[in-house]
Amino acid sequence: MEHRRLSRRRLLGVSLGGVGGALLGLSGCGASSGSASAGTDHLSLWYWKGSLSDKLLATARRGVPGRAGLRVRGSQIPDGDIDSKVRTSLAARAYVPDITVANSDNLATFFPDEHEFLDLRELGAEKVRDRYLDWKWKSCFTPSGRMIGFPLDAGPTALYYRRDLFEQAGLAYEPADIAEAVPTWEKFIAAGKGLRAKAPGKPYLVSNIGNVFQQILLQSTRQFVDADNRFIGDQEHVRRAWDISVEILRQGLSARITDGTPDYNAAMSGSRVGTMTTAVWAVNSLKESAPKTSGAWRLTTMPDGPGNYGGSYMTLTRYCRDPEAGFAFLTWLLSPENQLRSYQEMSLFPTTPVVYADPAMRTPDPFFGGQRPIDVFGPAARKAPVVYFSPYEESANTPFFQELTNVEMLGKNPGRAWRDAVNTAETTVSRLGVS
Amino acid sequence: MATVLDPTGAPAAEERRPDRRSRSTAPGGRRRHVPPLLAISPFYVLFAVFGAFPVVFSLYLSFQDWDGIGEMRFVGLEQYGWLLEDSVFWHSVLNTFEIWFLSTVPMLFLALVLAFLLHSQVRFTGAYRVAYFIPNVTSMVAMTIVFGSVFAQSGLANSALRAIGMDGIGWLSSEWGIKSSVSLMIIWRWVGYNALIFLAGLQAIPTEHFEAARVDGANSWQTLFRVVVPQLRPVILFAAITSTINGLQIFTESQVLFQSDDVGTTGGPGQEGMTIVLYLWQKAFKEHQFGYGAAMGWLLFAIIAVFTIINWRLVSGSDRDEGRPGLAGLLRRKGARDGR
Repeated sequence: MEHRRLSRRRLLGVSLGGVGGALLGLSGCGASSGSASAGTDHLSLWYWKGSLSDKLLATARRGVPGRAGLRVRGSQIPDGDIDSKVRTSLAARAYVPDITVANSDNLATFFPDEHEFLDLRELGAEKVRDRYLDWKWKSCFTPSGRMIGFPLDAGPTALYYRRDLFEQAGLAYEPADIAEAVPTWEKFIAAGKGLRAKAPGKPYLVSNIGNVFQQILLQSTRQFVDADNRFIGDQEHVRRAWDISVEILRQGLSARITDGTPDYNAAMSGSRVGTMTTAVWAVNSLKESAPKTSGAWRLTTMPDGPGNYGGSYMTLTRYCRDPEAGFAFLTWLLSPENQLRSYQEMSLFPTTPVVYADPAMRTPDPFFGGQRPIDVFGPAARKAPVVYFSPYEESANTPFFQELTNVEMLGKNPGRAWRDAVNTAETTVSRLGVS
Repeated sequence: MATVLDPTGAPAAEERRPDRRSRSTAPGGRRRHVPPLLAISPFYVLFAVFGAFPVVFSLYLSFQDWDGIGEMRFVGLEQYGWLLEDSVFWHSVLNTFEIWFLSTVPMLFLALVLAFLLHSQVRFTGAYRVAYFIPNVTSMVAMTIVFGSVFAQSGLANSALRAIGMDGIGWLSSEWGIKSSVSLMIIWRWVGYNALIFLAGLQAIPTEHFEAARVDGANSWQTLFRVVVPQLRPVILFAAITSTINGLQIFTESQVLFQSDDVGTTGGPGQEGMTIVLYLWQKAFKEHQFGYGAAMGWLLFAIIAVFTIINWRLVSGSDRDEGRPGLAGLLRRKGARDGR
């Protein structure tokens, strides 16, 4: 009994000491340096699974080649948590990673707090500028002209289509022919009518109209809020995207299925949808959700021309213990040679166009019947427009996507839905200081 | 704490000392209370850091405009004013109540029936108890995949409906389909938990009552509604109150059911699955409007407080005064009338 009581008391003492020590440790570290790597011999990097090459990160952990003594240790943060974790650490000014990965639609949300990140021009970014796609480079800049992001990967878009269904419907069916026969969204709708009328099983043209709306918008240089912080979501470029999307629905060409659901997988593998308007990174999920359709898909230029959908950035936070070394790591990890390796290992589409001609990128893909995807995605990546994304993009565009869903799924009157979307978006962004 | 750490020796401390000793009630002084206080301090420290501080800070936040990183800007009651004009917020309030009603009422009834069945003599009761409780501790990620398939257009639920000759329902694409599927997930998750609480209450009812009922020739339904329900009243009210508090904070079910890769939709078509907490999460953590989210949290608190007070009045009202018209009192009087 005596022994047990003693040990329990000791246990309490030890645990109390532990809590106290941890609290002291927390305040102590926070005060000395905000970096998560303070007191270690490496730089810390936060990324999510699939955003960076695991092999290259393993190398960087042992030592970045060509830079003696530089080690970078990556920590995998779940996809959905990384944004709030980065924000939390920045707000706390403690345990901030030296280097982070930021999603395409996330980089802009940091613009109001741009000074939390280092201006990469001051570290010599201009010297490597000609390696990278022009529009991607430009998108790394805040409206005030600071460069807070560094190009990671790109998301060039293409029209994915079922060659077999197009052929059976008596339409043009080779990639080059379709690029010629379907140069605009209007022609796209016309092709869809033929597909629905004549192809076996009456396939739909698209899975849902939200995807089309998104792609038409991304072909425009302007989105919902411009660089002068004005709401432009009620203007012609958005209205046109809306009208074309609604027309597709009105013609009965949409399967009205949400992407990523079991119904979507069933429709794709069951040949009930004839095309997909999306980016290069959708290839793998398509292969997974519809393996039976392998060989039937082809890629061609998007109607009205290519755009960019997604793709990430890397940033250095202002707490970075060694900015020079951090930047050296970025230029090493995202050099053309290593982007090529990341493409081969992780399917991350390079932002360094010089490698598009590399034999390793020009391998034919049997899923696309032996077509070389790079023949479509390469030119698309070069030609994507320079788009300005505002920090308030998500607040401004959510009502439009929501109302479009209401029109598609619940049969809401499109005119009323448009007015509701404009009103909700205007009210929401006006509260965020957008005029 | 100060008395322990105070290094004695300073003349002022020397003077205060006798006074201090006279106030202490036992030899050893206050020092005696320090070890137990220290022993229970982990709870208070953790509660202060992870409980009390966030509550107070969120109240402070609700008067600010803050994106989570930069400078805060004091805006007074502006966030609350905007919230009262926000049609999406009121829609989410309505949704929350509809889903709460659709889930809680059948769930409590089902839990009661289950508890009654478990309480009677059946084989493998232990296994059943475990089985009914498992949904409550199942990972939500796994649930997403399963329920996504169940409620898909060509999913299990619609296949079952078609098998008995009915038309399929747009479980995730129509107003009441969405509310029903969210409610079904809530029922699935919480029915076992509440059944266990009811079972604990049942086991406290003396067996003589059941025996007397049996002697009087009552069948199972009569036993359930004439013997069990009246005796279980406090337990049922406890379950009703906790279910109300939980039900008004519905979040995960809606979030996982309508989480797709698409941008810009939350809560499904027509935002029919948008609940108060889901909207809070969207505004605060997706759109980085922490002040707005905090204000929403406090309005939700006010709504829950009102309901808890109503519940409490209904319970305590009937206990204080038999003649006072409360829900419980009404039930009891009706029961007495029926019994005659």
